[in-house]
Amino acid sequence: MPEFLQFAFMRNAFVATTLIALMGSLVGYFVVLRRQAFASHALSNIGFAGAAGASLAGVDPMLGLLLFVMGAALVMAWTGRDMGERDVSVGMILMFSLGLGALFVNLYSANANAAIGILFGSVFGIDAGQIRWIAITSAGVLLGLGAIFRPLRFASLNPQAARAQGIPVATLDTLFLLLVGAAAAIAVPVIGSLLSFAIFVGPAAAAQAWCGRVGLGMGLTALLALLESLGGLLLSYYANLPASSCIAALSFGLYGLSRLPIRALRA
Amino acid sequence: MIEARGLAAGKGAALAFKHVSFQIAPGSFTALVGPNGAGKTTLFETILGLIPPRHGEIQVLGGTPSRMRRQIAYVPQALALAHDDALIGREFVSAAFQAHRLGLPLPGSRRRARAAVDAALDTVGAKDLATRRLSTLSGGQRQRLLIAQALVNRPRLVLLDEPLSQLDPAARDWIVAVAADLTRRGIAVIFSTHDINPVLRVCDRVLYLAQGRGRIGSVDEIICDETLSELYATPVRVIRDGGRRFVFADAPAA
Ligand SMILES: Nc1ncnc2c1ncn2[C@@H]1O[C@H](COP(=O)(O)OP(=O)(O)OP(=O)(O)O)[C@@H](O)[C@H]1O
Ligand SMILES: [Mg+2]
Repeated sequence: MPEFLQFAFMRNAFVATTLIALMGSLVGYFVVLRRQAFASHALSNIGFAGAAGASLAGVDPMLGLLLFVMGAALVMAWTGRDMGERDVSVGMILMFSLGLGALFVNLYSANANAAIGILFGSVFGIDAGQIRWIAITSAGVLLGLGAIFRPLRFASLNPQAARAQGIPVATLDTLFLLLVGAAAAIAVPVIGSLLSFAIFVGPAAAAQAWCGRVGLGMGLTALLALLESLGGLLLSYYANLPASSCIAALSFGLYGLSRLPIRALRA
Repeated sequence: MIEARGLAAGKGAALAFKHVSFQIAPGSFTALVGPNGAGKTTLFETILGLIPPRHGEIQVLGGTPSRMRRQIAYVPQALALAHDDALIGREFVSAAFQAHRLGLPLPGSRRRARAAVDAALDTVGAKDLATRRLSTLSGGQRQRLLIAQALVNRPRLVLLDEPLSQLDPAARDWIVAVAADLTRRGIAVIFSTHDINPVLRVCDRVLYLAQGRGRIGSVDEIICDETLSELYATPVRVIRDGGRRFVFADAPAA
């Protein structure tokens, strides 16, 4: 066993990060394809309010996160009729949630560190109980995504033609936002609500720049996500830097690389 | 193929058209003509069963529109394919293949999808676009991919909503030829346009919508002074020029 895996906290961090990188980046592939990066970012940030509220109410923060974020996803689906015109309603829901989050943190002043942990993630603080939540939710999200893969792909690329074929485009949109919500809720304690872009958007955006096929692109997305998140963990461990910062930096680096006009890298 | 009697439909409080009756035969080319807001898109949505008729009845392929939808393909009006869209043509087209099915496509299904996509790309003369990124395509090339996408599930009826609106004359001829070719394969085509001239030579019938009314017939029956004056309820003059037709309200100088 490599030296760094001798510690339970490191093993937990590796398992949690692997699951979240795989699940989050694959959901993220569709987030980028559907241009819903803002909604996914907002859902992660709303998770902060959910976790703070749960701490205040004395329930499991994971449960609070999940309920709060899924609720917000439903509200987003209902208020933004058209996926393209959702910016304003997403922003309003985000703003209101962050206001609640500020209130919860204010009321629960006993532990401001917990709030920082949610905002920026605390991957080395993941315990076995959280791993179970993460594993169950990841499996559920990936199963859900696999189930709606074909209709969702068509509805994302040509919603009007899909609707004409009898595909329930609005229902799919709601289901997808719920998947993003669930994914965001479990990613937040690990990567941090402010840095979830690193998992949800970075790898998929880089992969889509390099690969014009859906199947191959999703494979590449998952690979890049594993690379940057596990690489980030190792970097963090050996250089003694915050894990989230390392993952964010690698995600940004890969994205930057994908934007370079290097023809040979594009398929 | 389609039988509509006394049809009235509209999306808002008002009706876009009423008392519209027509029949569409298999393998026929129907030009759906009318000014902006005449109800062309509304009529397509009624044929697709997306909005219920307010009056009258419509049968599509022998059944109700919503039951027959899977055998109809709709090519939407001016789809804004995002400019930086990174997918290649083949992936865009194949997204429609059996898209109502749940679960990931198995290898057998992927093989069938490949064959269907190749056939559809071939039909619209877009084989060379299979590996091109959407972001690098012209409007005419995108329109061809949209039609190819509509064909992958082997529809019996294809509805094209103003496919010529953003194209130059050469690209228009291409798209009209592609649509006419579909009718030779037995697919009925309804092709909406506000200018009849590009489709004059290929269309069997004209369904003209204006002022909430509709009339169907041959080009000569519809694009003439009498019919159009009646439809617009104002004197209209049709001028022929070398096989093309120009419609003027009242004074030819207008
Ligand atoms: N969502 C809507 N709610 C209310 N009324 C609508 C809606 N969409 C269209 N209409 C109205 O229905 C009528 C028919 O519109 P439709 O889009 O079918 O016309 P069109 O012939 O397709 O026009 P265009 O050539 O501009 O595409 C118009 O008067 C329009 O104002
Ligand atoms: Mg229209």
